[in-house]
Formats: sequence, structure tokens, C-alpha cells
Amino acid sequence: MAEITLNFTVNGEVAKVTTEPVKTLLQMLREDLALHSVKEGCAQGDCGSCIVVMSGQAVNSCLVLAAQVEGAEIVTLEGLSKNGRLHPLQRQFAELWAFQCGFCTAGMLMSCYALLLNNPAPTQVEIRTAIEGNLCRCTSYRAVMDAVLASTEGGHLP
Amino acid sequence: MTKMEIVGKPTEALGSEDILTGKARYCGDLTFPGMLVGKLLYSAHPHARIKKLDISAALAMPGVVAVLTHQDIPGKNNFLYALDDQPILVSQFARYQGDALVALAAEDKNSAQAALKAIQVEYEPLPGVYDALEAMKPGSIQVWPDRSNLYDRLVIEHGDIQAGFDAAEVLIEHTYHTPLIEHAFLEPECAVSLVDWDGTIIVYSPGQSPHRDRHQIARALAIPEAKVRVIYPTIGGAFGGKDELHVQIHAALLAQATGRPVMLERTREESIRTHVKRHPIQVRYRTGATREGKITAIHVEAIGDTGPYVNAGAEVMSVLAATVFGPYVVPNAHIEASTVLTNNPICGAMRGFGIPQGQFATELQMDALAREVNLDPLDIRLLNGLETGDTLPTGARLRQAGGMKGCLLEAAEMAGWAERQQTEDRPAPHLRRGWGMASIIFTTGLGRNVPDSAGAGLDMATDGSVLLRTAASDMGQGAHTVLAQIAAEALGVELSAVKVTQPDTHRATSAGASAGSRTTFVSGNAVLDAAKPIRETLLQIAAEETGLPVELLSLRSGRVYADDEQLSLSVADLAGQAGQQNRRLHAEGFYTMEYPEPLPEGEYPYAHGTFTFATQIARVLVDIETGEVMVEEVIAVQDAGKVINPGGALGQVEGGCAMGIGYALMEELVVNQGRTINNSLESYLIPTAKDIPQIRARLLEFPEPYAPYGSKGIGEASLTPTAPAITNAVADALGLPIRQIPLTAERVLAAIDSL
Amino acid sequence: MTFPDYFAPATLDEALAKLGQQAGGAQIIAGGTDLLPRMRAGLVNPNLLVDLASLALAGIRRESSFVYLGARVTHAQVLESKLLRQHYPALVVACEAIGGPSIRNRGTLGGNLVNASPAADAAPPLLVYDADLLLVSQGAERCLPLADFFFGPGKTALARDEILKEVRLPVPSGRTAAAFLKLGKRQAMAIAVVSVAVRLTLNQNSRIDQARIALGSVAPRPLRAMESEKVLLGRPLEKLPIVEAASVAAGEASPISDIRASGDYRRRMVEVLVRRALSSACQELQREKIGG
Repeated sequence: MAEITLNFTVNGEVAKVTTEPVKTLLQMLREDLALHSVKEGCAQGDCGSCIVVMSGQAVNSCLVLAAQVEGAEIVTLEGLSKNGRLHPLQRQFAELWAFQCGFCTAGMLMSCYALLLNNPAPTQVEIRTAIEGNLCRCTSYRAVMDAVLASTEGGHLP
Repeated sequence: MTKMEIVGKPTEALGSEDILTGKARYCGDLTFPGMLVGKLLYSAHPHARIKKLDISAALAMPGVVAVLTHQDIPGKNNFLYALDDQPILVSQFARYQGDALVALAAEDKNSAQAALKAIQVEYEPLPGVYDALEAMKPGSIQVWPDRSNLYDRLVIEHGDIQAGFDAAEVLIEHTYHTPLIEHAFLEPECAVSLVDWDGTIIVYSPGQSPHRDRHQIARALAIPEAKVRVIYPTIGGAFGGKDELHVQIHAALLAQATGRPVMLERTREESIRTHVKRHPIQVRYRTGATREGKITAIHVEAIGDTGPYVNAGAEVMSVLAATVFGPYVVPNAHIEASTVLTNNPICGAMRGFGIPQGQFATELQMDALAREVNLDPLDIRLLNGLETGDTLPTGARLRQAGGMKGCLLEAAEMAGWAERQQTEDRPAPHLRRGWGMASIIFTTGLGRNVPDSAGAGLDMATDGSVLLRTAASDMGQGAHTVLAQIAAEALGVELSAVKVTQPDTHRATSAGASAGSRTTFVSGNAVLDAAKPIRETLLQIAAEETGLPVELLSLRSGRVYADDEQLSLSVADLAGQAGQQNRRLHAEGFYTMEYPEPLPEGEYPYAHGTFTFATQIARVLVDIETGEVMVEEVIAVQDAGKVINPGGALGQVEGGCAMGIGYALMEELVVNQGRTINNSLESYLIPTAKDIPQIRARLLEFPEPYAPYGSKGIGEASLTPTAPAITNAVADALGLPIRQIPLTAERVLAAIDSL
Repeated sequence: MTFPDYFAPATLDEALAKLGQQAGGAQIIAGGTDLLPRMRAGLVNPNLLVDLASLALAGIRRESSFVYLGARVTHAQVLESKLLRQHYPALVVACEAIGGPSIRNRGTLGGNLVNASPAADAAPPLLVYDADLLLVSQGAERCLPLADFFFGPGKTALARDEILKEVRLPVPSGRTAAAFLKLGKRQAMAIAVVSVAVRLTLNQNSRIDQARIALGSVAPRPLRAMESEKVLLGRPLEKLPIVEAASVAAGEASPISDIRASGDYRRRMVEVLVRRALSSACQELQREKIGG
């Protein structure tokens, strides 16, 4: 099939990519836009490592087609910090050891970021639900949930 | 000991900003100009003879640059730890579903996938052997024509087994089963190989032992090891599953053949299908004890299915054998551990290395004994528990065992163990609550008479910053952070002054494998060894600069102190002076695991010398109509010797518990005639955030002699008690023991039915 | 896998026309959460993907005594809808149990139904709420009860040239209560081992006027346990033969053994879950009664 040109924004910047329409968003972000934070852990929505925020919602980028991204606003981990300043989520993940090998971390942070976009003061139950689709093999998830709670207590939110 | 500035302080993981901002580069993130996509063709059958292999159609396809078979391997077509018995590319026989037949490289993923499909293979499927017990029977199908399916039977004997059982007033015998387990690291295997401008073959990959990788790669490519460079990028988890070579040799062969960079990645399905797993092990355990509950003898037979290639199989079984007596005084023992070959998936190192499987049996056996002699599970463990100075059935004497009873009592206290019966244990008619504990012994290092060394390099620059050159692998467990802390403490600089290099065979000498919970101990000591002469030189310069005697001076966090008074002199000043005076501020350290006490005659020659202890207590709810088990809480107490990084260490304990919960409740790789059935993360289940209850974890410190700052490995001991604690809790809830994991709802219900 | 072509029609007519042209090689894509993994596994190999994204099929509206859900309503939208929470709580509970948030943000009710996995979580509640499906083709429309829609795994009454447009649900009236229970092998991201939905409606004499019991994952398709429903009809709320109904329901299941569970275990769990779901619905009705 002929390639198409897609116009959308990524991390606040306009992006224009010409590619096969049925490439996945995951592949497009990594291959066409060099946004390597987005990881492939399973390629079929089971693990959450590829989660990005699309138009304000967490989605598995391995299950979104490039063509479906036209006009959308995509946020990846590279877009979380602003002007070199870490987002409170990133700071708390660091301070509370909410990651170990880090491979699930980008997707995990994006799920947490999406949660806070829609729910700035989540309960622990809501946080646990927000990350239920992010598999982590290194941690017990406890530090992730603590980090999200801690990032909201400061009151400094996106 | 002087007060420490860095060791023992909660320390953010090195490289955390890179990971948290997405800058960290894992193997699959690397790009090089002209990079090709590599793919492997795996055998369609778990046991087959390759009658015909026709790659011509694949070779002719657009975008295909190279298609390699075994004939294209310049050097040795064999690899794999222990026996080099796995073919890189099959020439005649595929012996498990993950054997590779062809390696190809193409311009892009689609061309590579299409070319794979175009390869024509004519198989002669052969009958295989898919059960370890069957494989051990005479007349069984043999995996190899020239090797028995019973590859190894290790026997460890201690004391007088006959007398031991004669003295027993109570006999308990049961058989326990643990399943085939997938590591499920989130980053599937990957390797990127390229030919450097000077002809050096570079291989980037996640791994656990770069020099061992290099050796096998060089041998396959028929080039000197010094012309191969193995570098580990950021690694997305391993847990022992990347200790073996996975696709590195194939990637290197393709790079060598094409002259271009090649990236070879496995899909998740390929990963589950091919890489080494945790051994499924059956343990038959007979315990003899007095009526008071004191163990007099044990007879243990363990059988492990290692797949067709030996890999670490015999070692896993030997480590199991060397610890299956548990953290208890066992005066007489007969332990047999059999390593069996089959055509099932290859098994090798996985977090715990045989100890989780063995001590699953040990701890269930202890509870069985407790029930028999009417003792509380805590009391029977206290009664038999090891203490400092005791001798193990391997002949090793415990130079530090305070952690055994220390962890046990602390865990019991935290859990409110003595009061537990009083809590309501039937929150609903269909629910039963139960409590269970498990107390374990774990080894640090690889054992006597096993090469167990590490090198490490420290280079201090003229501005006082330090390069720590280590080949130890940080797979997320925080090894580099810990080593940096040790280096910073020893050199008297700030942690921020220490830069740890990626593991790189061109930069650092071998650290051995990042395995066996040995890295902190062995590499840590190597770092201390390297730090010593540098620190001495710095102090010497300081003495010269200040005119004060060396004994009065110390270095802390980048500054020089005389007694406890901070001087205006900094370590950077000293380093600058050293540069001007051309004095040496770099050193190579080396450390070999020490066994200062000789082993008594006739004892197990590979006995470990350093041990750690842990106790976990689980509280569960069992739904007796569905069989579902819900873990309400886990208490985990572990002896770390000395905690170098409290934040990271706690994460290791909690993460181990999480893995242990998966092991207990939901994980099992199902194999049917050598084929794994659940090859995805949808069907192979690991715990989600909703599956992990509150874990209350605590680290105790019983400093280990000879260890750096007294510290011992913790990463594997944290996983070991969880499954037996949960299983004992389920037995408590139901009033009957289940001797097999995972405790799926269906298995639990079947047990309830049998009541 | 060759890349299929991709087409995003602007209207339903365009979509239907395209389907007609492709002689069976076209595949509708909505959220893609089931379709893309199946394509990756080689189970389906379309030459054209027809994306419904631009079509106005994601609305939730009430019109007199019906609620209409566009086929592209996502599971996340179901959770966010006050209307649905009020009238169809069992559907909301079921959607909460599908995947994780990122899957729910994309996965659609229509996709869940058309994909026709025997384990489709949305199916049992939609069955007990008497859902009808609006199926459209070029120049034609038909309304089919959901109970008649599923034929077997992956097989439905949807014709090759048809698109599922809407799900229509009657607004429950009177004293009614529903429940949904799912048994999985872990607490999230789990395919159902067994799932069950029930709905009970009382007449003014507090007797069962309507009973609905639907089972998932225990037959080639999600189905209503009709015999079990009959056991309850006309019986008084205070003395409902729940145990008997549950036992009959178990007999109406024809579960297979697979990687997740054996058929025997599943059949047994039908009895347990139906019993518990009916008890839960009963308790809710009794509470309502007391509340006045």
C-alpha cells in the first residue's frame, strides 16, 4: 500500500511522518521519530511497556495504527520533562526507587501521567487500577504507587 | 570502623535520570548506519533430524543480504555454558523447539520475515522424551546417542545416615513439585553486532558475563578473543535468563558475513520459546526426627529436567543439593540430585538457581514435621535453627548465622505470629484464612573450588573524578550503584565523582557472572582492592602537603580531614598534585572468594562459605468454593550482612516477593510433547499491580566476615521463601497441605475435594 | 504478513460500499485491541482495513425507553457514563474487568461483540439487559437480538457486507437488580475462566417477573441459561430457588478444557458464580424493598 503522510503533534511539537498507514504507532515512534523511550515488550497489548498518551488518554502504541494518529496529540516519556526540569512523577520515581531495570518505566510513567491528567488527586486504589496494565518484573509496584501519591502531595501538577 | 558517608545511605540509582527521561539506551534502541535486521529460523519440531535445508529461495528475495547455515560458521558450531553442547545453527539434529537452523539478515523487518517464510526445511520428526522420570528409565528414548539421559547424579553425604534414621522416632516423607518457569524479563533478547573500523567485532547485548560471552563468540567466528568486544547497554531485566548467550553469536556471524551492523531481536513469543528457563524439579524428602521435633536425619532425592543441553543444569542441582537441608542443624544427611536430559526447553540459571525449588520442599517438610509432633511452625524452626559456628551437611562451618534466628524472630514479631490464631479466620462462609512461614538459607558466591573471582579497575583523574571499570552487569538490581558507593566510600570522594563504565570487555577485566548473588561481595571486594593503593597515595600526598602524619589523615566525601577537623585541602587538590608529580592514581583490583577454613576430609568439595538467611510470613485467604488464593500480606525479613543501599535493597526484597507470589500462584510454562503452549504474556501470567498485597519488608544486618563492609547478596534470597510461605499458609487455611505449585484455583479445589 | 491497505471512510455508506467491493478481504477495525494481535498471529489476513474512526458511532444516548450505544463506544466510555452506571451497572462492572485502562481506552463494545470470543466480557451483561443489535448494510438495516447474534468462536450473524452500528438496550423499569462476576487467573489483565451475569425483575407481588442468566467462557458462544431462568420465574423473592437455578445453569454450559482451566472446573464454577450473582441481585432487591 502506498505510504501516507501523517500530521500530528508529539511532545508539543508538530510532526509530519510519511510511512505505511498500518505500521503501528510504536514502530513509527521508534523508527521514524527516534523516540526510543517507547518500548516493545510483547507487541500485542499484554505488557504495557509501549503505553503513550494519545489525546489525553493512555493507549498501547503497539495497538494503534500510524494512520489512526492523524491530528492526534501524542506524549511520550521524552516529553514529560519541560525545559530540562523533571516532572514531579519523574522526581518521585527517582527518589522512591520506583524502578529497577527501567524497561517498563516509560510505559508506567505514561500510565501515571495519563491518570493525573484526568484525576489530579487519585487514591491508592485508583493508582493501582491505572497501572494494572503495566507489567513490572523487578518491583512490587508499591514504590510506583507511592511515587504517584508523593508527586501529588507537592501540589505541583501539569 | 569509621562512620560511613556513602555506604549504608539511601542512594538514588545511578543512571536514574537517563532511565526516567527516556534517554537510556537498551540494546533495541541502538542504531547504526546501514544496520540490517537479523532473524533466526527455529526448529518446527522439538526433536527432529534435518533432512533437507534449502535457503535458495530466501537468498533470492528482495532485501535479503545474507542467509547463513551451519556450513557458514567459520569456527566452532557449538556454544552454551558447561558443555558447549548446543549448536549455534543445527547441522543435523534439533533437540528442542528453540534450536536455530538459519540466521539471516535483510534490509528491513518485512524482508527478513518474508525471507524466513521462504526457507524450505524437510524435517524428519523424531520421537522425543518429554518427562524426566521417563527419561531416567532404562529403554527410554535417548536425547543423545553417546550420553545417558541421566547426565549427572550428585550425592552429598554427611554423618551416619543409618544411625540418623535409627534414632528417629518420627518419619515424614513426601514428594514436592515445582514447575517450569519463564523469567519474563520485560526486555526480550537482542543483540547488535558490527565490525569496527579496525576489524574488531563489537557485540552489544544484554547479558550477565561479558568475558564468557566474548569467549564463545570469538570461538564461533574463529578470531582471537582480543578482536571481539562485548559491551552491555542498559539492560531490561535478566534474573539469570540472560546469563547464557542468546542471539549474540548469530548477530556477530551476520555482521562478520555482511560487513554491516546487524540487529537481531527476539519477539516475545520467540523469547519464551527459546531462552533458558527455571528447572522444574521434583523433590522427594524424607525427614527423621525425635518426638520433640529435632531433626536426626534427612534423605532427599531431587530430579531436575534440564532439557537437551546441560547448561547450568548440574550446577543448579548441585546448589540445590548443597542447601536443601535448609537453615537447620541436620546431623546426618543423604542428598541425591539428578540432572536429567530431555527434549523439553533448556533450563538454566534463574534467580535462586535451584534453591527456591529445593527449599520449597524443605519448608513444606518442616511444617509437615511440625504438625506431626504438634509444634508451632515457629517453634520447630527455632528448635532446629542454625547458629553461628554450626556445621552444615556440606561440611562448611557457619561463620555468621545470626540472621537465621534473627530474621525468624523479627518476622514473627512483625506478623504478630503468636497472636495469629485469635484473629477471625472465617471472614465469610466460603473463605478460610491461613498463616504460613518459611525460613531459608541462601548462598553467596559460587562455592569452593569453583572459579569465583572478579577484577575491577579504578582510575582517578587529575580533577579527582573517578572511572570505575567493571564488567559486572547491572540488570536493574542496582549493582553499579552499590559498587560506585563502595568505591566512593573507599576513595573518600563524593558519589557524584564516580562514573561507572558500561560492562565492556575492552575496558574491564572479567568480573565473572553477575549471578549467584555474588556481585556485591566479589566485585565489591575487587573494588576495595583497587581503591587501597590509590587511597594510600592520596593520603601520602596529603601528608606531604600538610606536614601531618598519615595516621591522622582521612578522606571523606571529597575533603581531607585531620582527626575530625576538615582541612581546606580537597581530594581534587590531591589528585591534581598527583598528576603534576606523575604519581599513579589508577589500580586494578582483584578478588577471589575466600575460604579460609579448610574443609574437613570427605565433605562436599564445592561447599559454599557465605550464607544469608531470610524468613517470610504470608497471610492468605482461600475461597473454598472456587479454590482461589488471595495473599493478604507478606512479611519479609532478610539478613543483608550490611545494607549498602537501603533504597535499592528494599526494592530487591519486595521485587523478590512479587516474583515469589507469581511462582506460588500463577506461573507455569505448560509443555506438551516438548512444545510450550503459553508463549505470550497473555497466557503466561506474572503478577500485576492488583495481584501484589502489602509487603512489609525489613533488612537486618549480621555483618559477614570477608565481605565488603560485611555485605552479602540479597537478590535471590528474597524470592526463595515466598512460595513456601504462601503454600504453608494455604495448608493452614485448609487444614491440608498441597505439595505442588502453582496453587491455581483448580489445583486448590481438587485438594479441597480430596478432604 | 503483507501490509493490508487502509481506508478511513467518512460515512457509513462509504464504509459499506468498500466492504462490498473487497469480496471478503476487508476487515473492519475499531479499537484494534483484538484485531491487531490476531493479525500478528496470522489468524486473520485482511487485504484492507476499514477504519470506523471517523464515523459518528461512539455516542451514548437515551431515546424514550431505550438507550443506544454506538458500536464504537469504548469500554472506558462505558465506565464514565452516568447513564449506563445508573441503568446497566452489570455492564459497567464487566467493562471494568476488561484489560487495563489503555486497552479500555481503545477497545470498543462493538469490537468485543463482533470478535465473538466465547469469553467476551461485555456479552453476558448485554445479554441479560436484552440487548438488540442494529446491523446495517448497503440500503438495509436490521435489528437482531444479541441472543441470536453469536454462533461460535469468532462467528456471528454479521454478514460479510454488514457493519454493527449500534447496541440498543431497553431501559429497565420496575424493581430490578443485576450482577456480574468474573473468574480469572489473576486479579487484572485476565481472560475470563468463567463469567456470569444475572438480572432479576420483580412484579408487584415480589415474585420474579423476569429472570436473565447469561454465561461466558463456558460454551462456544456467550449464552443465556434459559432453563435456569425458568426455575426462577414466578417464584417469590424471599424464597428463590437460587441453588437449584445455579445447578441447572451449570448443566446448560458446555465448557472446553484449555490452557486456563478444565471443562469440569468451569462447569462447577458456573454453579458457584450463578449462585453468588443471584444472591447478590436478591440482596439488592431486598434492600430496595426495605428502603421503600
